[in-house]
Amino acid sequence: MSLMIQDFSVVYRDGDHSIQAVEEATLAVKEGECLALVGESGSGKTSLGKACLGLLPQNAETTGRILLNDRYMDFSNDMALNAIRWQKIAMVFQNGAETLNPSYRIIDQVAEPVMKLAGRSRKEALHRASRALLEMGLPENCYRHYPHQLSGGQVQRSLLAMATILDPDILILDEPTSALDALNKGFVSDIIEDYKQRGKGVLLITHDLAFAVAHGDEMAVLYLGQVMETLPAREMFSNPLHPYTLALGRSYPTMGTARELGGIRGDAFYRLVHQHGRGDAAQYHHSHIQIPESAHMDGHAPPVGCLFQGRCTQTIEACRTGIVTLETVAHHRVRCLRRGIVSILSLQGISKRYDEKTALHPTDLVLKAGDLLSLVGETGSGKTTLAMIAAGVLAQDRGSRILEDRDMDEWLKKDVRSMARKVGVVYQNPAASISHRFTVLDAVAEPLAIHGLGLGKDERKEMVKSVLVDVHLSTDDTFLGRYPHELNMGALQRVCIARALILTPSLLIADEPTSALDPSVQAKVLKLLLDLQTERGLTMLFVSHDIALARKISDRMGIMLSGYLVELGRASRIISNPVHPYTKMLLEGAGGNRQQGWKVPPDGEPSKGCPFFPRCPKGKNICQEEFPSIHKSEHGWVACHFVDV
Amino acid sequence: MHVNLSHMLRRDPWFLTGMILTLFFLMVTFLGPFLAPFSPWNMDFVPLSPPSSTHLLGVNDGGQDIFSELLYAVRNTFFFGMISASTALFLGVLIGALAGWFGGVADLILMRLADVLLATPAIMILILVAALFRPSPHILALILAGLMWPTIGKTIRSQTLSLKQSLHVRAARQMGGGSAYVISRHLIPEMFPLYLIGFAAKARMAMFMEAALAFLGLLDPSRKSLGMMISYALQYYYMDIWWHWLFPPILCLSLLIMMVTFLAISLEKVVDPRLRVNLPGRLS
Repeated sequence: MSLMIQDFSVVYRDGDHSIQAVEEATLAVKEGECLALVGESGSGKTSLGKACLGLLPQNAETTGRILLNDRYMDFSNDMALNAIRWQKIAMVFQNGAETLNPSYRIIDQVAEPVMKLAGRSRKEALHRASRALLEMGLPENCYRHYPHQLSGGQVQRSLLAMATILDPDILILDEPTSALDALNKGFVSDIIEDYKQRGKGVLLITHDLAFAVAHGDEMAVLYLGQVMETLPAREMFSNPLHPYTLALGRSYPTMGTARELGGIRGDAFYRLVHQHGRGDAAQYHHSHIQIPESAHMDGHAPPVGCLFQGRCTQTIEACRTGIVTLETVAHHRVRCLRRGIVSILSLQGISKRYDEKTALHPTDLVLKAGDLLSLVGETGSGKTTLAMIAAGVLAQDRGSRILEDRDMDEWLKKDVRSMARKVGVVYQNPAASISHRFTVLDAVAEPLAIHGLGLGKDERKEMVKSVLVDVHLSTDDTFLGRYPHELNMGALQRVCIARALILTPSLLIADEPTSALDPSVQAKVLKLLLDLQTERGLTMLFVSHDIALARKISDRMGIMLSGYLVELGRASRIISNPVHPYTKMLLEGAGGNRQQGWKVPPDGEPSKGCPFFPRCPKGKNICQEEFPSIHKSEHGWVACHFVDV
Repeated sequence: MHVNLSHMLRRDPWFLTGMILTLFFLMVTFLGPFLAPFSPWNMDFVPLSPPSSTHLLGVNDGGQDIFSELLYAVRNTFFFGMISASTALFLGVLIGALAGWFGGVADLILMRLADVLLATPAIMILILVAALFRPSPHILALILAGLMWPTIGKTIRSQTLSLKQSLHVRAARQMGGGSAYVISRHLIPEMFPLYLIGFAAKARMAMFMEAALAFLGLLDPSRKSLGMMISYALQYYYMDIWWHWLFPPILCLSLLIMMVTFLAISLEKVVDPRLRVNLPGRLS
């Protein structure tokens, strides 16, 4: 009982244009598993679902094959298809109420497949229909209602009853939950779980990512008809490899998300295939990229370059021209020339001492493209030291740093400038970080001056203006001529952000960028940083002592204590389920509570053992004796002896 | 810290007085040769004549017009002060900034040199040099500058050290700015007020020094100088010449020194916040 989709493409013909809805999708709904298809609208999810039943409209051209239980499906043979529809494969369509016939009573519609396809008598059919509706929890007095008399949830239930009435091997659910509230989603879940248990397959088409993660086994992420990534569904949020999967996950609100929603920059396009008669070169249009005329293609040829290039935040030149195929990376399949999200910064065993005091114990940290990591901790915990080492401002005593696959220390030695171009830094005090003898223009253009870029005065000014627009500042000459003391702190910090961004760095390090600002200005600056991250795909390292603030913007959070990174993980996990007692203390402190038994931090650093021991309510002898080993978990770790406590 | 310098200074009486004097002396210096009724080296007049309509301040013992002599002397003293002070300032800023910025051995050597020079009495060296080698006044001004730079250099160095830690300098370094860039764009402009103070102090010292050397007769006697005029006039103290021969050069020297002192005081007040309390100015 499996459904295999092999190299399946769908093109909708419409006069001269054709729309590529699905392109060479290879997917499998395995026995007892649920395959979740996710993606923005227009990504070809529904086309793929309908194709499995041979329900595509007349103008659709398909290539590739679909195998049901290891047998090819013949879409030209209506008889054979009818034998399969509802009995082998059943589908619950999107927009439930519209797919029901308004002039038939509900129970008659549910009974219809039993009569027409299974050839049972009307009496038996009605009997089975009422039983199916009852199982779906529909009250009996509804059975004889017409569709418009039912609520959205009831319509969805009747559709499910109809789809499951012949107990098909494969159940295709197209947006089954979009009309349902959180409580009513439960019965859809029950059906999926029941089908999985009975060894049948479920193809779940949805944009409800949390639902897909909860019930899917495999997940396929579609974009403009291409499968961008296939991955185990549970890794959707925690370990996406394709930038599109990451961006999609970031746009979706789950109960676990702490940070503001990100969204994906740009808009999805339809993929049009213009054809001027047979044999002419066709041109693909997507994301405003035009394909050179030399590229000969018909509707089924792979397009030039990656489809996601216009919206992707890690596009390189090769993405515009190369041929992108699905490749196996780890246990995912990813359609990305860069083999998924690249690693921007990798710190290994970084440590730093200032004279007598150890500011940073050996610490590892990896930042992937588009990641926003917050370092949170009390003052003197080594946050800034770590951030400044990451920025290349400070040198570490031990350990290595790798920035975009290059050894940073070697890079700094060879060519400070090209290294500096990769990292932008925003400091705590905007007023002090700009020379008070610089005008706004001077300040923002300073990196250009240092790097000798945009040498023409006008050209330089244009660059400054364009980056000022990005940070929502005025670009008129009066503003450009202002001095720092004439601006308010919020505007000044924006100027600093503009200065950090003008060289389009790949890593932005913000050291308490909002602690000098009042809350309303702080909110604006944070929103700006998030927008910039969405737009430019910046990787950000955000240093803050304020965990409440950090949770609003972080993907991941690192908790620092006395030069140790004691806890690292997804921000949502740390906020909802902190493991280290110190993290709990920070969270409680942020909530304004002060729990009994918490002690004042002692002076000096303990020579051995856990640095938190003197203040820890769980402290035992072992904590005093040895530093806790690191317990690794998904994308993070905790350094505590009592992780399970 | 951004101080609205011009606004504060415009209301400061010390500064205003200093600026009026500066304008006056600049005029005298540059227009002196045209204003002078006679050549100061012309000895055709009746010696020791009292002031008259032709000789506004009379004639000296050598038969020279004292007014013309005074104009040329002010010019010489002023120039001496400017040359010496600007050279000292240049040296001080350069050495101070380099020592502070690069630190290490360069800093150590330069600052020990500064200590040695600070401990050396400049006047003694100048007297010796002037007496033994009879150099031109310009050379003497440069030698004096070579002796005067350490105070400026030390101030600039300490300021550089503190600026080095300031956020905007660190930001510029992070952006990849090299030493030359940071020194020229961040350090040198930042310390501007210090230059005015240093310059004023050194100009005062240099002008006084020039007058002293001339008074002692260590400079070229044919070169007109306030010190030399005072020295000659003093030889005739028993005659009734003090008000038209002795007093004018003394007044001019005092005003010159007052000029730079006033400027220094007012600028110092502006730059040093601790002195700023009573200043009718505005911080913004």
